[in-house]
Amino acid sequence: MSFPNPPKAIKLVLLGEAAVGKSSLVLRFVSNDFQENKEPTIGAAFLTQKCTIGDKTIKYEIWDTAGQERFASLAPMYYRNAQAALVVYDITKPASFLKARHWVKELHEQASKDIIIALVGNKYDLVEDSNDELRKVSVEEGKKLAEEEDLLFFETSAKTSFNVNEVFIGIGSKIPDNSPVTETRPENGARIDLSSQPAQKSNSSCC
Amino acid sequence: MSSFHRAERRKSVAERSPSVSYAPDTIPQLAGLEKPQEHNLHIGECDVLVMGTGLVESVVAAALSWQGVDVLHIDNKTCYGDSNSTLTIEQVKSWCQEVNSGRIQHFEDAQVYVTGDIYHPQSKFKSKDYGIDLTPKIMFAQSDLLSLLVKSRVYKYLEFQSLSNFHIFENDSFSTKFANASSKEEIFTDQSLSLLTKRYLMKFLKFVLEDNNDEDKRKTLADNAKVTIYDFLSQKFNLETSQINELIYSIGLCIKPTTKTPEAIARIRRFLVSFNVYGNFPVLVSKYGGPGEISQGFCRSAAVAGTTYKLNTALTDYDPQLKLAKFSDKSSIKINEKLIVAPTQIPKFLQSSYNEITESLKKVNISRLVVIVKKDCKEWMADQECSAMVVFPPESLNSQNKTSIQALIQNGGTGVCPPGQSIWYLTSFEQDSIKAKQDLQCAFEKMESSILRESSDLDDVLDENLSVNKSGTSLVVNSVKLGKSLQNFVPKETLEIICKFGFTQKTYVLNDLSNVINPTDENNVSLRKTKDCEDIIFTNMPSSEISYDGIVKECKTIYQAITGSDDDFFDVDFEDDDEFNPAGFHQQPTTSSSNLKTSDNDMAIASSDDEDNAHPFGADEMEL
Ligand SMILES: Cc1cc2nc3c(=O)[nH]c(=O)nc-3n(C[C@H](O)[C@H](O)[C@H](O)COP(=O)(O)OP(=O)(O)OC[C@H]3O[C@@H](n4cnc5c(N)ncnc54)[C@H](O)[C@@H]3O)c2cc1C
Ligand SMILES: Nc1nc2c(ncn2[C@@H]2O[C@H](COP(=O)(O)OP(=O)(O)O)[C@@H](O)[C@H]2O)c(=O)[nH]1
Ligand SMILES: [Mg+2]
Repeated sequence: MSFPNPPKAIKLVLLGEAAVGKSSLVLRFVSNDFQENKEPTIGAAFLTQKCTIGDKTIKYEIWDTAGQERFASLAPMYYRNAQAALVVYDITKPASFLKARHWVKELHEQASKDIIIALVGNKYDLVEDSNDELRKVSVEEGKKLAEEEDLLFFETSAKTSFNVNEVFIGIGSKIPDNSPVTETRPENGARIDLSSQPAQKSNSSCC
Repeated sequence: MSSFHRAERRKSVAERSPSVSYAPDTIPQLAGLEKPQEHNLHIGECDVLVMGTGLVESVVAAALSWQGVDVLHIDNKTCYGDSNSTLTIEQVKSWCQEVNSGRIQHFEDAQVYVTGDIYHPQSKFKSKDYGIDLTPKIMFAQSDLLSLLVKSRVYKYLEFQSLSNFHIFENDSFSTKFANASSKEEIFTDQSLSLLTKRYLMKFLKFVLEDNNDEDKRKTLADNAKVTIYDFLSQKFNLETSQINELIYSIGLCIKPTTKTPEAIARIRRFLVSFNVYGNFPVLVSKYGGPGEISQGFCRSAAVAGTTYKLNTALTDYDPQLKLAKFSDKSSIKINEKLIVAPTQIPKFLQSSYNEITESLKKVNISRLVVIVKKDCKEWMADQECSAMVVFPPESLNSQNKTSIQALIQNGGTGVCPPGQSIWYLTSFEQDSIKAKQDLQCAFEKMESSILRESSDLDDVLDENLSVNKSGTSLVVNSVKLGKSLQNFVPKETLEIICKFGFTQKTYVLNDLSNVINPTDENNVSLRKTKDCEDIIFTNMPSSEISYDGIVKECKTIYQAITGSDDDFFDVDFEDDDEFNPAGFHQQPTTSSSNLKTSDNDMAIASSDDEDNAHPFGADEMEL
């Protein structure tokens, strides 16, 4: 049994306080859309999006928290094999920036060592014009944390789409070209593809 | 009928439960801030409160949630899975302490031994490199839970691998006569069998695979309802003990010789119909852990549908008049409909109700021994696979075991332990727990000496011995096939053990699952009623069953008790349904390289790579 791999799939997870705009960033990146309070009705809660950087194509599998971050109840499954993470905060909410630090630490503990992390200060549109009094986290603070922890750093707006694609391109260009594909290592059991549904026989007996 | 009227199917998740900001009023100082603030539950009300994140509870939470029910799901532990958890070694240690201090009901007598190895700072492996299941399970390729995983899309969170090798221990050695065949046909065409035996086996195979509605089959089963499968096979089909044993204990995974014919036939049938559904193997195992991993998947699905999750939280009080629940985090929440309570999560004030409900029910003991060894045990596994089953039939061990011992072996390739190691999960169904321990230890020792025999410089030994082997068959094909003469020849090596862990679990689910398959308010915990807790539904402790059979039925029973019907159980139109179009139908042009993105909402991890799957549409019935 061996299944050829489609374009390199990268599991990307989102982390950050509730309401900083994680789901909105995904929606913007995947559908180029922004809707107040709307999440897609998808069973799996991860979206895929291809992203071409130079001559390499990456297929992001983007896992949203599905709200399980609210009471710090993310399951180990969420972090497992994640190759990239966005740690998102809201630049108008200082508390969300403090939380970002926690999530970076959590990633260091739970995720694989070589995970690529981008720190993302969202809702840039709110401070864009002369509305500067809304900004509560300065660019410098964000940059500083990113440097300390060796993270990529962006300020974005899911609402206006400012800098959103850049986050994903930035991560994509840091993904090593030939990261080993674990599935094809012979000593590992082959993965069974359940997405091709077998014909269910009507006389199936199992309960 | 329940009076519960569900809200109309909700339109989007966020419309019902928009993200809420929990920014604290005062911003804490940066220094020393390690953890996010523990929030209280800021929810005014919910429809259903589910306590315990075990597999059944998690499936029910997801099923309710996808039908628009507002669910709050909590667990009094800090990790997911409850009685079905997949634990790290550290978690196992503290779990044992909790059990032995009486804080986790229905578990008893936990013992754990861990070598110092994993604590050395230089040690390559750490506690969290291990995922140890409290209820190890295997999944038949044709089974209702697997169908549900596909239907609910939860399979997307999981990785499945195949398991083909079912070894049976008899006459002091392991064998796999037909259970590691590559097709149903091959199962019964072992060259060493006589023509007559083959004919009887074929006849039996035909009987088992016959449509369940077939008149003759129904009649035969009904007539033999009280006949043990052993008698049935020996009298009706003239089979011999060794074939019968393999059919009953290995293929059928029955646990005792008194298993009645209908149950055993149902069990043998599930093995046979599972062949060639996804490939030439009957069984799948999920990577990184079994039921613990699958419950996490359903919890995630439930969360996507709007369920609120909070671990490390217990119910402390409930006022049935006001329907007001109070929690250990000091919050109180109105529960509009029901409370679903796992037996490990029962608060003190509900204990007497639970005792009353379970008073007249038969209690079943399950004893387990889990051993992590420094060997990959490849010798027991089929090529390319990382798991195997070993079964010890009754009376096969020196301890005179009355029931069978079932052992699931998984090595590092399944992600449950580091490479070069494996976890052995041994289960005993013996009701006397002292006897159960002896049986388990005895079976473990047999496995230990077998794997040492198998893996110690085999090539050298065999080169010399193969030449005198007249039968011409290779001695090391697949299984533990070393003859007795070699057993004493091979030098003694010791098996390095990293962790040894044992406990006993209790459940009110009977071993034949009859009170789950046909639940009544007499026999099943979830349907029993008491006066003072109408709103409360207790769930069952996990059954002794090594497969996932019975799980979906349990979930539907509870679902129905809440909503009045299970007709719409996971009846959801996912927006990503288009992925089930035939491969290639939905392909995007790949030439648009000028675009940054190809808008591609196909959610499949491996959507179009099944062309080389030889029999994607399942097993053809064989001609007889
Ligand atoms: C491990 C396991 C345990 C099961 N336990 C039961 C059970 O206790 N009761 C049950 O009705 N179904 C049980 N089933 C399910 C059973 O195989 C059928 O799927 C189910 O009974 C549906 O009814 P049927 O008439 O279509 O089944 P069929 O497969 O047509 O069964 C034929 C007849 O045998 C009876 N039967 C089947 N299995 C058992 C059994 N284990 N014990 C007693 N009678 C049985 C059925 O009620 C039916 O009358 C079990 C299945 C498995 C794999
Ligand atoms: N102004 C503005 N609002 C945003 C932005 N991103 C998200 N929001 C809003 O913030 C709220 C929370 O967004 P959501 O994506 O649900 O956050 P999540 O909880 O982190 O997933 C919603 O009301 C969004 O409309 C943004 O870039 N600018
Ligand atoms: Mg969100």
